[in-house]
Amino acid sequence: MIRALGALCLAVALVVAFAAPAAAHNVTAGADLRIAQTIAGTELTVVIKGTARVPGPLRIGVVAFDPVAGLPVNLEVRSLTDGRRVTALARAAAQPQYAQLRVEETGPHELRLRAGNEVAVVPFRVLVERGSAGDFLIYGGLLVAALLLVGGLLTGVLTGASARRGPAMLLAGGAAVGVTVAAMVIVFEPLLPPGEPDGAAPTAGLEGGRPFVQSRVDTVPARPAAGEEFTLRLDLVDGSTGRPVDDLVAHHEALAHLVVTSEDGRYFRHLHPLRTAPGRLEVRLRADRPGRYLAHAELERQDSGGQLLAGEFGVEGDAAGPGTVDRPASPRLRPAVPVAGRPTTIEVATQGATRPWLGMSGHLIIRSQDGSFLGHVHEMGSSGPGLRFTFSFPRAGRYLAWAQHATDSRIVTTPLTIDVTDPPR
Amino acid sequence: MRRMIVLAALVVAAVALFVVGRGSGPEPLRLTTAGAHYTATVLIGRPTTGRISVEVRVTSGDADGAALSAVMPDMGHAMPELVAGEPEPGRFVAEGELFAMTGVWDLSIRLTGPAGEETLTGKALITGG
Repeated sequence: MIRALGALCLAVALVVAFAAPAAAHNVTAGADLRIAQTIAGTELTVVIKGTARVPGPLRIGVVAFDPVAGLPVNLEVRSLTDGRRVTALARAAAQPQYAQLRVEETGPHELRLRAGNEVAVVPFRVLVERGSAGDFLIYGGLLVAALLLVGGLLTGVLTGASARRGPAMLLAGGAAVGVTVAAMVIVFEPLLPPGEPDGAAPTAGLEGGRPFVQSRVDTVPARPAAGEEFTLRLDLVDGSTGRPVDDLVAHHEALAHLVVTSEDGRYFRHLHPLRTAPGRLEVRLRADRPGRYLAHAELERQDSGGQLLAGEFGVEGDAAGPGTVDRPASPRLRPAVPVAGRPTTIEVATQGATRPWLGMSGHLIIRSQDGSFLGHVHEMGSSGPGLRFTFSFPRAGRYLAWAQHATDSRIVTTPLTIDVTDPPR
Repeated sequence: MRRMIVLAALVVAAVALFVVGRGSGPEPLRLTTAGAHYTATVLIGRPTTGRISVEVRVTSGDADGAALSAVMPDMGHAMPELVAGEPEPGRFVAEGELFAMTGVWDLSIRLTGPAGEETLTGKALITGG
């Protein structure tokens, strides 16, 4: 009897273990999706709050990092399964009010943002956790045990003490199985991988990353003039299939981080281009001086690591202004003279209290003087005021760097110049 | 005693079938995707590798042509486009090889009509050969 019960419990445990689907997803139910967007000339982060049920509410807020005084942002959520649309108006603010929309089902959706005369389309999936097989077995086992125990009591009352042992053993044995199954699942369930939430994309458990992205950088118009607004466009193509790359995931809270610098480093922008079509990212900007400009895009495909794409474009005409005035700050370096290949710690003073931006309290963009190298370093563990970054410069030479952090009202960029020497022989 | 064990085994087998059945889902593939001009449902009775038959039902929008193609993003595989015939208005059928191996494929449905051309996409899990 005991051996038989043990074998049955083992069988249940094995079934539960093999039934749980493996594979993780980039978006988990109940977690906020945060996407930075450079739109209407300002830096915003759109926050989509995870929903716990469908049909149910979907709350969306727009966090401003520049003083934009309640910039209106039109929101439209469309189901890609049935085409149903819902709309709302959000106002960008440092501490935004969340607009409440409604979603009817899980699965693929897209959020269309309109601010000023610019439009971005952000794809996302509505995921809702579903009851696990473990929960079913726990509650099912306890329910069976309870029913059988009640049945046992009634059997005892109705038949008296002289009743046959058979029915009593049957009920007691069933109750024991129920309690044992529930107890085993309670013990072993935390060890099992969680199941996929409802609405998740199918997975096949493959690992290894997706093919590289090939990018083309264009401007509209093709020859922008200094001082005039133009669109910088990135078309992303899968290097193996030639199809548009439309599977970017939020990488440090953005579909892409685009760094645009002039060749001489006096001009710097850290932008978050808008997805305007599958495989197409666009951002509007303006450069005051003619010359050669470099574009570096940092992004990540689903199930893959980060990638860095590079391109360049030219600006023509006469200088329309001084451009960004470059006043290299004097960071505190440790060691004072950085050595190639060894960790260097860079400390930068801040203006006012910082608040997280792109998931971090500070960012340091590092470019070699010729533009062939670009690094993106995150602030790590500064206890006092100021930002602290640690980075190993790959080669000796001059590097241009820009430290960035967000305050309550704006994003502060501090340009730096760092000279790195060869290690002693 | 033997009856009790048989009964308990049946209960456990039923629970196991329920749990496994919940995880695997239905075998035929049914994928509905909505674009700006058209909404289409793709039906594949046997979503496997090799030669298959694919039906596309356009439930919204006036489409007069449909073609299907697939890529496997994890592996970088791309398959030729299958042009579908239209045995009746709004219903298209294509036959041929669409999936070269098991795994998750991105399915593209290119629809044409008076409203213009639009490519709808969706994901298909191919599990059997």
